[in-house]
Amino acid sequence: MNEVENPVQKLWQQQPVEGLQMSVEEIRRRAGKFERRIVRRNRRETLGCILVSGLFAYFMIGNHDLLFRIAYGLFIAGMIWVAVQLQRKGSIRNLPPTLGASTSLHFFRTELERQRDAVRNVWPWYLAPLVPGYLMLTIAYAIAFPQPVRWIGVAAFDGFVVLIFVGVWKMNQRAARCLQKSIDELNAAE
Amino acid sequence: MAAEASAQDELYHEAAETYGAALERLARAYESDADLRRDLLQEIHVALWRSFDGFDGRCSLRTWIYRVAHNVAASHVLSQRRTRVQMLVGLEELENMADAQSGPVAADRSHALNRLLELIQRLKPLDRNVMLAYLEGMDAAEIGEISGLLPGNVATKIHRIKNMLARQFRQGGNES
Repeated sequence: MNEVENPVQKLWQQQPVEGLQMSVEEIRRRAGKFERRIVRRNRRETLGCILVSGLFAYFMIGNHDLLFRIAYGLFIAGMIWVAVQLQRKGSIRNLPPTLGASTSLHFFRTELERQRDAVRNVWPWYLAPLVPGYLMLTIAYAIAFPQPVRWIGVAAFDGFVVLIFVGVWKMNQRAARCLQKSIDELNAAE
Repeated sequence: MAAEASAQDELYHEAAETYGAALERLARAYESDADLRRDLLQEIHVALWRSFDGFDGRCSLRTWIYRVAHNVAASHVLSQRRTRVQMLVGLEELENMADAQSGPVAADRSHALNRLLELIQRLKPLDRNVMLAYLEGMDAAEIGEISGLLPGNVATKIHRIKNMLARQFRQGGNES
């Protein structure tokens, strides 16, 4: 340690600390606990996906109209795709063991880029997979119930869903722009 | 395998013994909530132990330890609500903000320390990294090795830090 240069450095270095002590056994136990947390999260998300897919499968089997069955099948495929992507991009993850080989700038930028890509590409991995099922369901409904009054209701509901999709997409684009700004600042500092 | 595990454990013991206090100070600079801070500190210790499995001696042990600790802490900041990260500022902004909010000289040590912590916790992770390394007494070359910033940028940031601290803690102007 270098010699203490000024009173503020002295103030900082001489502040009281609790003196945390962790044995290697405790460290190993805690490392294992974190791994188990990730496994539990993955299990929870898989279970959620199975439940929702199961519900759509139930509708699919119970319905005799081919178009409705295709729509529910597409929803199931979309749900599975979203669940897989959620696990891949999830926020809880083990930090790489090579952390010490990475400078702070490199590590921080990589983390920001990972977050930016996840939010910027929300359309292909989170929203788009649900669109085919939804479109097919609308078509199936319009054909099965050809009364214009019913179509008005469907159109209103469709408009609501489109608004939600656009809102989610716009929010994520804004978050991506903020993250990109931070990345640009880091690039300028290098 | 057993020998490797033992080398990893030995490095960890050395790190915890020599830099334990500095790591606690670092955790304090990144997390103000006591419970979350304890979690963060434990996470840093776990990451350090894991990292020593891949320690190749290409940089000093101290540089390695600080890189791991800062990276875990930065990851902790990022995993908080995203808006919180956006609210953090760079050294230049902090300098202006600190000047505008400059109050009377902190009379006692704990008061002064709290004021210092307030300043540090408002900084973006990379600038916080530089400020903490400076406060721990590291030189510009080592700060550059840990942060990955170019020497010129490190020098500029240290200059800013010194000026800001001098004005905030009334040490009689520019010390650089």
